[in-house]
Amino acid sequence: MTTAIEICERCESPLETGDLRCSICGQVSPADRPHAEKLTVQILRCRGCGAATAYDIKHQAPSCTFCDSVVEVETLEDPLEQSEGYLPFTIGQDEARKAMRHWLSSLGWFRPSDLTTSARLEQLKPLWWVGWVFDAESFVSWAADSNAGSRRSAWAPHSGQVEMTFDDILVSASRGLSDAEVSAISPGCDLATIRKEPEGAQNATIEQFDLQRSQARQQVIEAIQVIAAQRVEQSEIPGTSFRKTSVSVVLRKLITRRFSLPAWILAYRYKGRLYRMVICGQNASYVTGSAPYSIIKIIFVAVSVVAAMLAIFAAVAAS
Amino acid sequence: MTDAPSEQVADQVEISCQACGSTLLLDSHLRTTVCPYCASPSVIERPPSPNRPAPSFVVGFVVDHDRAAAAVRDWISSASIFARSDFKQAAPEVTRGVYLPAYLYGAVANSSYSARIGEDYTETETYTTTDSKGNTVTRTRTVTKTEYRSLNGEHSTYIVDVVVTASAGVTNDALEAVEPFDLRALRRYEPSFISGWLAEDPSRSKDDCFQLSHDESVAKVEQLLHEFMPGDSHTSLQFQTNLSNEVIDLVLLPVWSFAVRYAEDRPPVQILVNGQTGRVGGKVPISTIKVTIAVLTGLIVVGGFALAIASQN
Ligand SMILES: [Zn+2]
Ligand SMILES: [Zn+2]
Ligand SMILES: [Zn+2]
Repeated sequence: MTTAIEICERCESPLETGDLRCSICGQVSPADRPHAEKLTVQILRCRGCGAATAYDIKHQAPSCTFCDSVVEVETLEDPLEQSEGYLPFTIGQDEARKAMRHWLSSLGWFRPSDLTTSARLEQLKPLWWVGWVFDAESFVSWAADSNAGSRRSAWAPHSGQVEMTFDDILVSASRGLSDAEVSAISPGCDLATIRKEPEGAQNATIEQFDLQRSQARQQVIEAIQVIAAQRVEQSEIPGTSFRKTSVSVVLRKLITRRFSLPAWILAYRYKGRLYRMVICGQNASYVTGSAPYSIIKIIFVAVSVVAAMLAIFAAVAAS
Repeated sequence: MTDAPSEQVADQVEISCQACGSTLLLDSHLRTTVCPYCASPSVIERPPSPNRPAPSFVVGFVVDHDRAAAAVRDWISSASIFARSDFKQAAPEVTRGVYLPAYLYGAVANSSYSARIGEDYTETETYTTTDSKGNTVTRTRTVTKTEYRSLNGEHSTYIVDVVVTASAGVTNDALEAVEPFDLRALRRYEPSFISGWLAEDPSRSKDDCFQLSHDESVAKVEQLLHEFMPGDSHTSLQFQTNLSNEVIDLVLLPVWSFAVRYAEDRPPVQILVNGQTGRVGGKVPISTIKVTIAVLTGLIVVGGFALAIASQN
């Protein structure tokens, strides 16, 4: 249902079934209606009863004035996005459990000492979350302030243009995972492992895209602008600190695929409170989540710091 | 449209009704007609020409006649207090729903720009003042100053969804007043879509429409460039835009057209209603008497204050 039918003549992005125009550059997708050779007068008749048809506001379509049947016309389709495939789970339940213990024990000294032993796993659920993966070529114009070349003000203006390519960039469409969770676990996914059907986990929650195609494209384009601005700051603008970076992106060959990606969602309880963890379903070293801090340890450190400062003051005052 | 020039009205074609065979005279810029004898709706198709291309798209009517008329009445009664009283009491008349020809334009805009970019900085300066005891003292304060740096650069962007009128009866400003149309509801043009409604062919030359599109595109670029500039402020923005890879397609847009006749000696005012969104646009005739009274009242009030202040000192 979301297959590419042809390539836009102008920007070489694929058009999909139901696109009347290219969503990137506005080029019209060719129609197959023949043009009139000479002046013709026609009365459009109902296929059912032969009465004349006219456009009807009630139906928002041409309809028969006599039998009320509606004439089919080609409209711009804006279907809900559908996943094209699933990356399989390669991390099982046991490995996910192990990854949780390992992660809890790696968090450092400020966590409660009994965190790893007392944390009780409440729930461990596989989730296929949804995201777009895109490739594109682009020509990016940018302007920004940076510290390079500054005089009295800390800032000086700069501008430039650069060709930029995007390969396999993942943009989250998930409602279940936060953007921070997605960026923590998505590097563990191997996009080449895509399958037609879900594989590797039972009773998984399978997230659906809940956006229409037009909104999805809008989100992908916004994500491209954010990434372009980051890349410009990394490698184009002279200087080391930046502000007011703007980009104008002319896209070509934008190809977007819709993926379902695997993740383990864990809920564990420590001293009556619930905490959440997310583990990449293909690589257990990509983990993110929340964990308690040890209040006692933090107070201890704070008190020690204050005590040390007082001692230094006292020493300075005495000298 | 309603006020199309007379030489165009004279330009008529003869067609025959396919239902009853009657001969009908039709204004040559119309794409549709309804037979006065048998009420059959006809759609007329002509071979496309450069100034009269075949429509690519149509946006269907959503707002019906009653809703459009109510919107116009609301709009008239909420018109500015400076509107002529006879206008605010006038009833809108002769309403017609018409598919208005317009062009949907897009391009790649490459611009060279230059601007003075203002970068703010703060300085501590000393100044002398008199303190409460009458002594002269030196104090310091922080002031924000602006350093202007020149910036030259290039800017490229797609321009999409520029809509300009192709009907001689509706100015581009009049169409803009009822825009935007939600272009997500575009449909591929089919004659059945305009059957039973008035629909016009373009009555402006394609060159004129290109010019209107270019003007709108350059205005868009200017706005984009203002947003694009770095700095805390900027001045003297100058730019040169080259539009390439242009696409232009004919679209039929749904518009209700009303004429408001409010005085014997004045031409009627054209009021348009967006047939998709219900947005109303038109020029309200301003009462010069009301404006004069308001200005005089203002002057009297200001003068009164001035007198009062002067008499206190
Ligand atoms: Zn395109
Ligand atoms: Zn019928
Ligand atoms: Zn007839």
